[in-house]
Amino acid sequence: MDLEWKEKRNNERAKVEELFGYEGCKVGRGTYGHVYKAKRKDSSDTKEYALKQIEGSGLSMSACREIALLRELKHPNVINLQRVFLSHADRKVWLLFDYAEHDLWHIIKFHRAAKANKKTVQVAKGMVKSLLYQILDGIRYLHSNWVLHRDLKPANILVMGEGTERGRVKIADMGFARLFNSPLKPLADLDPVVVTFWYRAPELLLGARHYTKAIDIWAIGCIFAELLTSEPIFHCRQEDIKTSNPYHHDQLDRIFNVMGFPQEKDWVDIKKMPEHGTLMKDFKKNNYSNCSLVKYMDRHKIKPEGKAFMLLQKLLTMDPTKRITSELAMQDPYFLEDPLPTQDVFAAGPIPYPKRDFLSDEEQDDKSENKKKVFMEQNWTSQQRAAAAKVRMGGGGQEPASKRVRLGHHQSNMANQQNFSHSHMTQRNHPNQLSGRQQQHPGHVQQGAMMNYTNTQQSNNFNQRY
Amino acid sequence: MAGNFWQSAHYQQWLLDSQDLIQERRPDLEVLSEEEYQKIMIFFSNFIQQLGETLKLRQQVIATATTFLKRFYARNSLRCIDPLLLAPTSVFLASKVEEFGVISNSRLISTCQTVVKNKFSYAYTTEFPYRTTHILECEFYLLESMDCCLIVYQPYRPLVQYMQDLGGEGEVLQLAWRIVNDSLRTDVCLLFPPYEIALACIHMACVVHQKDCKQWFAELNTDLDRIMEITRYILNLYELWKTYDERKEIQSLLQKMPKPQTQPGPR
Repeated sequence: MDLEWKEKRNNERAKVEELFGYEGCKVGRGTYGHVYKAKRKDSSDTKEYALKQIEGSGLSMSACREIALLRELKHPNVINLQRVFLSHADRKVWLLFDYAEHDLWHIIKFHRAAKANKKTVQVAKGMVKSLLYQILDGIRYLHSNWVLHRDLKPANILVMGEGTERGRVKIADMGFARLFNSPLKPLADLDPVVVTFWYRAPELLLGARHYTKAIDIWAIGCIFAELLTSEPIFHCRQEDIKTSNPYHHDQLDRIFNVMGFPQEKDWVDIKKMPEHGTLMKDFKKNNYSNCSLVKYMDRHKIKPEGKAFMLLQKLLTMDPTKRITSELAMQDPYFLEDPLPTQDVFAAGPIPYPKRDFLSDEEQDDKSENKKKVFMEQNWTSQQRAAAAKVRMGGGGQEPASKRVRLGHHQSNMANQQNFSHSHMTQRNHPNQLSGRQQQHPGHVQQGAMMNYTNTQQSNNFNQRY
Repeated sequence: MAGNFWQSAHYQQWLLDSQDLIQERRPDLEVLSEEEYQKIMIFFSNFIQQLGETLKLRQQVIATATTFLKRFYARNSLRCIDPLLLAPTSVFLASKVEEFGVISNSRLISTCQTVVKNKFSYAYTTEFPYRTTHILECEFYLLESMDCCLIVYQPYRPLVQYMQDLGGEGEVLQLAWRIVNDSLRTDVCLLFPPYEIALACIHMACVVHQKDCKQWFAELNTDLDRIMEITRYILNLYELWKTYDERKEIQSLLQKMPKPQTQPGPR
């Protein structure tokens, strides 16, 4: 490589840290890397941006895919890559996006907390419908361009906060997305297990070798149900996240507990699934004879004759060949019925959800914990400080309260959420089965969201994780 | 995108103008004649092909790697990065983009060493000189030079689709496919959309096999002048190959080629 040319290149190259301010503004941390809320230093615009520093150094396969795909995709409901920064010195790759203040993981969590406290959240009547419509539109665009998402879950569905795109859905985290019009290798060979268990379609759990559009649609069905009820419909205790075996007994059991065991006539090709033998050996269909989606949703006050339920049933169809497509789903009568879906999912009403918290840089490091806390508290408003203090004095839990203080702003919902998460866990899991691992929500093990809890909480016996 | 070429970065940013291309190559063309420049590009396309076949990559990956190399030198002089380094780097990057799976660094380097030794000893008398760190560093510069446009549309898919419509027999398709491979040794992948390249190759294959395709082409709503232009580029290549013996000439060409200055020194 020519030295002079290299030097010239290095001098011309825009450096992310010179153009953007993001120090202390981490909002996400996961296997994909770190995400910061950033602003331009020269204030040529005052917009907020999300800067994603890709995990590891250099150009991994998933970084490569993400850049290759995002460089091409353009749709109002798909996250828009503004720019790529290559930092040659430390071999880091940075991606610049518009900043999305909200995501469905946080939104649903907020509603769960409210529900647990028997409070109502004031939001637009058609919000869930608008969210679903825009998710479908984004996925329709991806699918029509031969792109599968493969990792749809609430944490990957972003919603824009105040600004020109207020209340607009942005599908994100395309790290696993891939083109599927001419796979050079069977899709399953590349990443053995990618879709988060709870949102994973039954055919994947039964060993399907190829990802399909239908797999994304199942995940959308799961998200729709979760929006309607504030509960993950196929909630299941988590085993090891990285397993190369797609067959997952507990997750299938959970699906059958909600949906019932698939009848032969409903899913003719189930016999051809690689793990069909294991399925027959492990499961008795009589155990699920009382289960159906109608009953499950009815328990959550969603009436089977409603249009929402009818569409949900088409999305959550066990047989992938019978599952509805995104185009058809968008034409469903549900979307023609009042209230109609709106571009701003909040329909110009107030946004009740808190803004994202900032995370500290060394969540695991106990020594830096105190320093960090002081630093963060300096930035709190007096109101936030008061709220935090209240929690510390015993806002609801058995652990020394100071260990559970959530860092960052928006302290006011904290006590509620902790109460709620605790009660929720004990409800769903046998206490002696719990370990740190099993409690992890697959959506937030990887998402910064979870750090709100985990950065101050390492204890195994206190379950705040969901 | 994968479905829509007309909205792709390939269409928007990487269909170049032939005048523009000449302009960009001017520094190199002060040292090399146009024909010599082309011979060097042919050599490194061959190198990528050999490397790809030894690594058992699909033609699609090889074609993308070749296009990466050509895109880089459409914007930079041969002096900036030694093509012997850029070629394996292009293969490395293309295999990730085309989702073939990542080639391990050690396998890439050892394959380069074997290929240089066994297949290109007529060009290089010394061992393949680069290591993983060079490839990784080079990859960033390649990515940067391409403005992160990684999805390359190749003529193979439209070729197969057109042939189905034309009712092409096996031998016409086979020949057209080979002509597409050969076209990677010309500038057409920088200048024309892949569907036009596919059509030109089909036309040439039909002529060779005396298959009447006049009616079919007449009914296509496409600019035949452009198809003819592509045909000229490819015919020029075949013309050159008639008298060109790479084994004899390449060493002196590589000697003449502008080279990077890797050590700080007096200028």
